[in-house]
Amino acid sequence: MAEVNQKTADQDTCASAKDSPDIIRIQDLTKIFRNKQEVTAVDHVSFTVRRGEIFGLLGPNGAGKSTLIRILTTLMQPTSGTACVDQYIIGKDDGTIRSIIGVCPQNSTLDIELSAYDNLDFYGNLLNVDETLLQDRIWELLEMVDLTDRAAMPVKTFSGGMRRKLEIVRAFLHHPLLLFLDEPTIGLDPESRREVWQQISRLNTEKTTIILTTHYMDEAEKLCDRIAFMNRGKLIALDTPDNLKKVIPTGELLEIGFGHLDEGVITAIRDLAEVRSVEVQDQILKISVSSGSKVLPVVLANLERFSIPVLSISIRAPSLEDVFIYLTGTGFEAG
Amino acid sequence: MEKAQGIHTLIRGAFAIFRRDFKKFLSNPFVIIMTLFMPIMYLIIFGNAMGGTITGIPLGVVQEDPYIQETPLYLAGLDLLRTYHQEDNPALFQVTVFPDEFSAQEALNNRQINAYVVFPSNLSPNREVRLYIDSSEYMVPTLIQAGVQSSLALLGAKNPLQVYDLYGTINYIQFFGVGVIVMAIFMTTMMGGGIALIRDREMGIIEGYLVTPVKRSSIILGTIASGTVRAFLAGFIILLVDMAIAGVIIRTFESFVLVVLVLLLICVGITSLVVALSSRFSSQQEYASSVAFLNLLFFMTSGAFYPIIGMPYWLTWLTVINPEYYAIDALRSIILRGQGLSIIAVDLVAIIIFTVIAIFLGITTYRRTIE
Repeated sequence: MAEVNQKTADQDTCASAKDSPDIIRIQDLTKIFRNKQEVTAVDHVSFTVRRGEIFGLLGPNGAGKSTLIRILTTLMQPTSGTACVDQYIIGKDDGTIRSIIGVCPQNSTLDIELSAYDNLDFYGNLLNVDETLLQDRIWELLEMVDLTDRAAMPVKTFSGGMRRKLEIVRAFLHHPLLLFLDEPTIGLDPESRREVWQQISRLNTEKTTIILTTHYMDEAEKLCDRIAFMNRGKLIALDTPDNLKKVIPTGELLEIGFGHLDEGVITAIRDLAEVRSVEVQDQILKISVSSGSKVLPVVLANLERFSIPVLSISIRAPSLEDVFIYLTGTGFEAG
Repeated sequence: MEKAQGIHTLIRGAFAIFRRDFKKFLSNPFVIIMTLFMPIMYLIIFGNAMGGTITGIPLGVVQEDPYIQETPLYLAGLDLLRTYHQEDNPALFQVTVFPDEFSAQEALNNRQINAYVVFPSNLSPNREVRLYIDSSEYMVPTLIQAGVQSSLALLGAKNPLQVYDLYGTINYIQFFGVGVIVMAIFMTTMMGGGIALIRDREMGIIEGYLVTPVKRSSIILGTIASGTVRAFLAGFIILLVDMAIAGVIIRTFESFVLVVLVLLLICVGITSLVVALSSRFSSQQEYASSVAFLNLLFFMTSGAFYPIIGMPYWLTWLTVINPEYYAIDALRSIILRGQGLSIIAVDLVAIIIFTVIAIFLGITTYRRTIE
């Protein structure tokens, strides 16, 4: 009964969200799957998404991203907690929510036997786009993704990048307030990825808020205004890419490739005042420092002293992946 | 040495593939059972449905007017026809006596009997014996004619036998061709339509519909409507082929309307049934093996190949609940016998009951998968 009471209380919150700067408000959202054993896929997650931003949802496989997206796209009901999309509440105003969101799923759901035009026309009708405007809208979107000359060709003749762009604009036919993109560039070559990124940025300028899930850190970093990290059903961090990087106390990472190594040198380097930590990985010495260029000469002098041949040197700022590893203690691939 | 090494590599690779295939085969017990079940059912149903002995054919016997008293030929004939049988089989005919030719004719038209024999009256005892046969069935007319002919011979009667085929000469291809129309509808819908639905679901295409504001009832309505039209086209094309190749004809506009009505009803029904079935099965393979079995069962007991009268009793009860039987029976009445609504009414009611149940099942099961 407590759950029901909470829901009615939150209804007002959703209604008041109409003119707020947040388009999505999630509070204590939890989803538990009860099959043979209980799995908490989403565990008391709360956050908001601002109008007009590109919001990245990152995390390894099984982190709960997909479940969260499925709840927000009305495909699944949460076990507890509330989620508002604009002034509508998930689980109550699903019909209205479906008319203001656009969804581009991870696995292609284009009808490859049908032409590009027919695919858009079909969804135009499902999405209830004004019939008098639909034709013009389809041509406008085909133009946008540079597929005008292939409008009548079956989608099966298209490249992966072309299909992806077509599928993204298909979700955009009805000018949604909110666009969900699930792994939009998975399996695409670098050239196509860049095109899809441009496409996403362009759609974002049309006042559409975009929620993007991805595995690719570079993609999130390049596109997203803010990024949420998820791991094991929990939200572990949410901020702009730049701020997230500041989470790591280390300023920079010094990576030195070597031929052979002496244990003594590691101790010597570790004892340096500016050095935070030293790690050896695959013939590479990884040294966390506050400022790489300042420490480098000292480190090199030490290596010289132990007559260790240096094969390569790089100084890099921490990537989002480093941030994730720092926050969770596990890598992305390890899940 | 090198050769032995080569053989070893060959066997190792082959064995790896063998093991992989076998493990996959064993991983799905349902499909194994169904694949083994199929040939066994084939044997039992196909063997019985096709190989049965036809006995107990409903036959009318009547004496020609003007009636004075029963002629010796009529009495002896009636007696013999009642007991006439082939070798060790039960009696070939199940004889009903009619008071006059008119009522016998009516019974034949209403399909209560398959044929009737008219013995000459007292006034002209040497006139021919007449035999009126419903020629739209397969095998049965030949058996009736042979039975009546040998009965007369046994009696030593000199009267010639005059045979009247009620619906003209109907070849097996025409008899079978009408059954194939319904078979085409069942096959295309169960195999093609159902698998396409499961594939759409597996690929997430149905889920794609669900995140759009399209109404759930629109999805169901659209799916059943498209399946129905596809099924109807399949049936209609076979009907046209029947007309071109088998020489099947539709005599009147009324007949044509009735054919379309029966086809549409059965198409809606079978499409809804397939929607329900495909919603229940999670994989294409499971669905395909179950449906192949169901298809066999429906088709074999539908009377499309072989008259129902030749089936053993335990198989005929499958016919009673088989929608395909009613559809084929109705189409044969309309197309081969040129009969109208009053004769096919029973078939129509059965088809409507099936269709209504199927629509209900289709809507409720499909709704559950998309909500």
